[in-house]
Amino acid sequence: MLGLLVLPGFLLLALLLQVTVVDLIHVKGVVPDLTFLLVVFYAFLRGQREGAFWGFVAGLMKDFITGNYFGLNALSTAVAGYLVGWSETRFYKDSSLVVMVLTFFATMVSQLIYYLLLVYLQIKIPPGVALVGVVLPSAMYNALLVPLFYRKFYRLYLKGWFKVGQF
Amino acid sequence: MTSGKRLFFLVILLVLVLYVMRVTAFSRVEATPLEKTLVDVFATLEQVTTGLGRGIRDVVTFPLSLVNASRRAEELSDKVARLEGELQQAREYRLENERLKKLLDFKSGPAADSGLEVTAAAVIGRDPGNWFSTITINKGRAQGIKENMTVLTPRGLVGRVIATTDHTATVLLITDPRSAVSALVQDSRTPGMVEGTAGSAGSLRMIHIPNDMPTRPGQVVVTSGTKSIFTKGIPIGEITRVKRDPTGLFFEASVRPFVDFNRLEEVLVITGVHPPAL
Repeated sequence: MLGLLVLPGFLLLALLLQVTVVDLIHVKGVVPDLTFLLVVFYAFLRGQREGAFWGFVAGLMKDFITGNYFGLNALSTAVAGYLVGWSETRFYKDSSLVVMVLTFFATMVSQLIYYLLLVYLQIKIPPGVALVGVVLPSAMYNALLVPLFYRKFYRLYLKGWFKVGQF
Repeated sequence: MTSGKRLFFLVILLVLVLYVMRVTAFSRVEATPLEKTLVDVFATLEQVTTGLGRGIRDVVTFPLSLVNASRRAEELSDKVARLEGELQQAREYRLENERLKKLLDFKSGPAADSGLEVTAAAVIGRDPGNWFSTITINKGRAQGIKENMTVLTPRGLVGRVIATTDHTATVLLITDPRSAVSALVQDSRTPGMVEGTAGSAGSLRMIHIPNDMPTRPGQVVVTSGTKSIFTKGIPIGEITRVKRDPTGLFFEASVRPFVDFNRLEEVLVITGVHPPAL
């Protein structure tokens, strides 16, 4: 039963760090997204359905903290989780490099969806600024952090930490 | 579930989420009591984690710098920042005073106290993403903080309060793409609107600058106060570049803010304004 709480617990901890201390490691104002990394790792190990579900949950938690536009992060992260989940049966699990590439593209897709939703919400950001100022740097930053965390996450997964947390 | 049913379910979910997104948009009036309680509880955790994080940062950076020199430099840079802010403010008052004296034959004299009632607050959290720029501060309705109050530091304008709970408040930074501040070029009194550009990048642009008003890099931009929720005369930033906007009808300028938004730790919230007696 305890395993059911492991992933939500990790997501909550990541979110807490995200709104408090992650800002201390910003590069040109861009910060990595720890909850997004967790979603990518879990989706890569568990597949599309769980990837989309936990992406939605993680995004919703973030929306709640932001206090506005409920569903904005939920939708964009759920799509990323779904897409990463597609690769579950197609790649070796123990390569950080594969996860780095997946994280890069998943962040790109997720951030582009986010941008489209901002357009839907009538928040104007020039496309060039969005791409060069946010989408690309955040994808690169997320991908660069993968080697720091993925192996540890994978080891915990193999030890069965998330076993009861099946969806 | 058949694929048809699944698709139907997904479409319903998508429409619902898109609807909720609109309903909970930035301008909604009030958060629910449950949200407020949860935000207050989370704020306590945020305060502890932020403190720990800054402590760790200090420990990590400590050996890298010469202790006394570093402390002294920090003190001096704080002092310079404060004096710069005071200088800008003084300049604003001097210009205002001169204009009034000239136009209305008011008595000249040193600018009186700024007449601002402020409450200091610590930054305990930030927006988790890279698109928006908001901060959470540790003062809320219980300390007299209300929506639309102006937030600043001794260097200049930070933003405005957009939401409050009993013990926290959310501040929309002027660098947020949803922010717009009615502004003036300090010496020429050229009007314009200062907008955030994108997320956390920390840059601003001043738009709708009339074609016939000379504007150049190096000029200081302050809040205009005209029909605005922001208090008048607060320094915003310095113009770095001026160009014609795409329509050709106006100029637009890049503005470098005086406040370092990536290093905000404490802010002041203006809770009342008592204009100095003329």
